[in-house]
Amino acid sequence: MSTTIRTSTDPTTPLWRAAQVFRLLSYLYAAGFQIASVDDLERPALGWVLFGVLSAWTLACAVAYLHGFGRRPAWVGAEFVVVIGMIWATRLVASEDWIAANQSWPTTLWATNAPISAAILAGPIVGMGTGVAVMAVYAALKGSVSFDFTRNATIVIELAVGLAVGMAAQTARRAHAELERAVRMSAVVAERERLARQVHDGVIQVLALVARRGHEIGGPTAELAALAGEQERALRRLVSVETVRDGVDAEFVDLRTPLNGRADDRVVVSVPGTPVLLGAAVVAELDAAVGNVLDNVRAHAGPAARAFVLLEDLGDSVTISVRDDGVGMPPERLAQARSEGRMGISQSIVGRLEALSGSARLTTAPGEGVEWELTVPTHRPEAGPQRG
Amino acid sequence: MADEDPATITVMVVDDHPIWRDAVARDLADEGFAVVATADGVAAARRRAAVVRPDVVLMDMQLADGDGAAATVGVLEVSPTSRVLVLSASGERDDVLQAVKAGATGYLVKSASKAELTEAVAETAQGRAVFTPGLAGLVLGEYRRIARGPGATPSGPTLTERETEVLRYVAKGLTAKQIAAKLSVSHRTVENHVQATFRKLQVANRVELTRYAIEHGLDKNP
Repeated sequence: MSTTIRTSTDPTTPLWRAAQVFRLLSYLYAAGFQIASVDDLERPALGWVLFGVLSAWTLACAVAYLHGFGRRPAWVGAEFVVVIGMIWATRLVASEDWIAANQSWPTTLWATNAPISAAILAGPIVGMGTGVAVMAVYAALKGSVSFDFTRNATIVIELAVGLAVGMAAQTARRAHAELERAVRMSAVVAERERLARQVHDGVIQVLALVARRGHEIGGPTAELAALAGEQERALRRLVSVETVRDGVDAEFVDLRTPLNGRADDRVVVSVPGTPVLLGAAVVAELDAAVGNVLDNVRAHAGPAARAFVLLEDLGDSVTISVRDDGVGMPPERLAQARSEGRMGISQSIVGRLEALSGSARLTTAPGEGVEWELTVPTHRPEAGPQRG
Repeated sequence: MADEDPATITVMVVDDHPIWRDAVARDLADEGFAVVATADGVAAARRRAAVVRPDVVLMDMQLADGDGAAATVGVLEVSPTSRVLVLSASGERDDVLQAVKAGATGYLVKSASKAELTEAVAETAQGRAVFTPGLAGLVLGEYRRIARGPGATPSGPTLTERETEVLRYVAKGLTAKQIAAKLSVSHRTVENHVQATFRKLQVANRVELTRYAIEHGLDKNP
């Protein structure tokens, strides 16, 4: 009994269950037929004995198939032999006349259980073959073959049952195999990603170490250190993009991804730990505006200036602050630049934000750097996507 | 290493990369810190911290048998007086926030210079929070998430207006000194505000964990 119990992983389990419901119904029909016709039999006592055997076998099959240990060729073969035996036993209990005038003693419906089991176990070909075999024995019992399908469609029904049930079983098995393959594939991908994370982390660490030591040693090694540092940052960006992509639907894009991409030696980007999801077009415009601001920093803030980008998600609005620690400018110069029409980039920043029904504000003072604050409304759906 | 001078700051380095672990340990020893232990994973860190009780634990986020947040929990359980400084390679992400919630009081990227590292360890030992703009952005984002989340409760941690202001300044790259000047308060007050934002997250996290434990019957000994 311990050999082939595969109930939980067997994709044909639902079919076996359904087949046992049919078995119960066919048994009730056989019982009714028995009670109705037992008085017409030549040897009613033997009829009851045989019906007892039939009952026991029906119960045994139901248990075996539901439990799973019967789902193998030996058991299904045994069922076929018992069904044939029962049909043939009609000769023992009934007269020639009775046989000619009636269906076989255990009923054709009950006999159909054998092709059904065979079809679930081995597919449509074996199912139909078993159906034909059962009908052949039936024909031998009657001593004639009826090809008049308009009056007796039993053979057609047997074939149809074998075909339909067999194909259902085959489809279930194929779908299950596909699913298993997909699960295996995704496990492989997950494992690869896990390994990649480890490798990436290791490479980042070594690059960081080279960058640090190189800067300390100085001279030509500092050049190598700078290269290592650059690659370290690039790889760190890649790693953060990979994790951000998980579970974000296509319509909304995480604003953190492009902003993180703008981090470098001089630009520090600070973002929340959870995705900041906005429409793809809005994200592209905001990212472009931040790009404009950073261009301004590079052009005007001085060679040593650093920029700090802060992204805040306030629920109904999103704010990006870009501050630099450069030379800044007196407010008069801002007004002067405006009057001279030298406000190209600034105007494009303000224009972009206004097009998004947002706002762009600039504050500056000499020696205090310049700070832009870009704010846009979010228009999010009711239950915004949440993580964690 | 056998130096028993009470002024010497004892450090444990937790990192799964031997090259990096040894390099950091050597750097710190050169600067006069006593590196009393190293560990490559969560279990080893916990075991050794229980024995050596280091002043400062330098914690990597990705470890051999788990993450830095789990190791932070483990270390602080057996050595509550230790202070955890996260030294991470993979950038400022959720896991750093988890480590802060677990009780870490500082954060530094591995690309930081030797001088920055030395200073950060010394500051951590003095009980000061070591902050980067990136971490300020994460902490700020976490409070905002809690405030607008569907599970927002009146008991959830919130920031005062002043704390929000300070966190925003830190995230925009201002130093504590610059912030103090802007707000006309002392340097120390600015640091207190920053630390308060950490502490509230840690307390909220502990309350959350306790509630979870009680709800799931984990508080009873079998």
